[in-house]
Amino acid sequence: MWWKIAILLVMSAVIVLAFVTASPMNPTITLGPVDVYRIFYFHVPTAWVASVAFLVAMFQAIQYLRTRDMSRDVRAAAANRLGLVFAILAVITGSIFARMTWGEFWNWSEIREVSIFILLLIYGAYFALRSALPDPETRATLSAVLTIIFAAAALFLIFVLPRVYPAFSQHPSDTIVDSEGQITMGSMVIVIFATSLVVFTALFFWIYRLTVRIGLVEQKRSLE
Amino acid sequence: MPTGSVSWAAKVAAVVRKELVSEFRTRYAINAIVMFALVTLTVVSFAVGLLSPSSEMMAALFWIILFFAAMSGLAQTFIKEEESGTALVLKLSSDGSVIFFGKLLFNLLLLIVLAVLIVPLFIIFLKIIPANWAVFLTGLVLGIVGLAGATTIVAAIVSKATVKGALFTVLSFPVLLPLLVAVIEITTVGFSGGGFGEISAPLQLLVAYDVVMTTLSVMLFDFVWRL
Amino acid sequence: MSMIELEVTQLTKRFGRRRVFGDVSFALKPGQSLAVTGPNGSGKSTLLRLLTGLSLPTAGKVIYTEDGKTLGFEHYRRKVAMVAPYLALYGALTAGENLHFLARVDGRKVSDTDIEAVLHKVGLDGRGGDYVGAYSSGMQQRLKYAAAMLREPEVLLVDEPSANLDDTGKKAVFDIIAAYRKQAIVVIATNEKEEYSLADGICQLGG
Repeated sequence: MWWKIAILLVMSAVIVLAFVTASPMNPTITLGPVDVYRIFYFHVPTAWVASVAFLVAMFQAIQYLRTRDMSRDVRAAAANRLGLVFAILAVITGSIFARMTWGEFWNWSEIREVSIFILLLIYGAYFALRSALPDPETRATLSAVLTIIFAAAALFLIFVLPRVYPAFSQHPSDTIVDSEGQITMGSMVIVIFATSLVVFTALFFWIYRLTVRIGLVEQKRSLE
Repeated sequence: MPTGSVSWAAKVAAVVRKELVSEFRTRYAINAIVMFALVTLTVVSFAVGLLSPSSEMMAALFWIILFFAAMSGLAQTFIKEEESGTALVLKLSSDGSVIFFGKLLFNLLLLIVLAVLIVPLFIIFLKIIPANWAVFLTGLVLGIVGLAGATTIVAAIVSKATVKGALFTVLSFPVLLPLLVAVIEITTVGFSGGGFGEISAPLQLLVAYDVVMTTLSVMLFDFVWRL
Repeated sequence: MSMIELEVTQLTKRFGRRRVFGDVSFALKPGQSLAVTGPNGSGKSTLLRLLTGLSLPTAGKVIYTEDGKTLGFEHYRRKVAMVAPYLALYGALTAGENLHFLARVDGRKVSDTDIEAVLHKVGLDGRGGDYVGAYSSGMQQRLKYAAAMLREPEVLLVDEPSANLDDTGKKAVFDIIAAYRKQAIVVIATNEKEEYSLADGICQLGG
């Protein structure tokens, strides 16, 4: 119980601090209005959580294939459902930021924008497959295999593509480190950002636990 | 009653031969693939018209044609087994790895036929000749190997679905995206005439992709095949 | 001589909320046979498919053992053959090509004489060169028995043994089943009363 209250308090603190402290971006090197960069406290954690959800789903998928325990399938599906929600949030917050700084909602040459969009497609494809498989055991097996295949492809996308095409990225990576790799954020910014990452992750696992419990109850009811 | 035994390679060869013989008699997959490629190529040619697009654009168009043509036919080999009811017999009669490699090689042959047909037509219709054939062909070969290697297991997954429709394309696209980005980069250099020095990064990515995706598919195929 | 044994314990299969059947248990040894009966939709075909290992149960187990050792799918699948109306051979191949292919892909070579012998047993003499796609449904059913026999199964699973067959066809396949009943594990799924006598025991599903 205590950690639920903690999430509530810390999340509130992050939201308040994100708006009352100085903007995370130094005015001299910004492309647009300085306040726009406050979205960084929320956009990056949602994208992070979308990736964490995918890792959880991959772990559960592997566990399902190892153990054939149907509760693993419930967990994998729950993680993917939340991943889909957070990926949508990341795309929306990212587009708002892009519109305010670069003047357009979407930029196809931006590698990280493309990556999160692909993550969205992956989640979409996963649920498209699940809805086309009526037999629960077949559905569990095939969606687990697909998750692992997607994870391998995503690994190529997320880790390899930005390195192969470094010129593509317009992301304000100098928000965190400058070209020499020095941390440019103020200490307050780091504290808020790190807290936000942690609390968003905690929020994800809270909702995840609830979704899994609902899923397990539904599964049990269908077996009675 | 049965006499003698045959090697693993001979079993795979038996699958490929069975696929080729039935394909030759029914032209089930090749018709779809070739017609789809021709239609897309025609559409692209009309759209491009008198414009003279850049090498990047040409490379992208080339792989869009190849991608969609492949999507129209590569799943057929598994879907046909499932829909006609032969899958159950085949699953009791063979090991997963034999079927996987048999179907993979057959799909690769389909793609080779497709490429042999599409490359000259693309050159004629779109009036572009690869300035560096070696780079162009390297990209083409690694590209279709990866296309077959990564989608064979997806085709097996899709064949179990009640609504197949566009599912194969929907599931394959995220899987193939790293391959498409890398191979379009290589093909661009092939058209524009750069050397191998310019494509070392996408080339490494492509080789790694082909190896990793094919290996992973082999490891996971038994889970899919045993349903 | 090694003996395969089949043990089914508390087998349950559900599709979503719908329970197909539950808690089916039985054990069979070579020379023992079972007829699975029940109304349409009671899960006869689903049970047979679970016995092949090519479908996962919701609960319970299907275990094949040999000399007390549990066999993995890749080992017992060679010993299992199935005949069913919903299962097919390749229409674009001739009967002979089908039989050659199915043997070869399993790592076995069969001679033309072997093939003629099994075709003779199902009354398809001289039809080995015809395309299966041009076969009538009764002839296809006979050919499935020929394909099953060529595998020399230790476990024979038959769904609706006489589906699509005329009287001579029925007699031929009843003889085949009777022969396997003596030496192999035979499970048939049927609603025909006259076919109950093809097996020693009856397993009633549903109703």
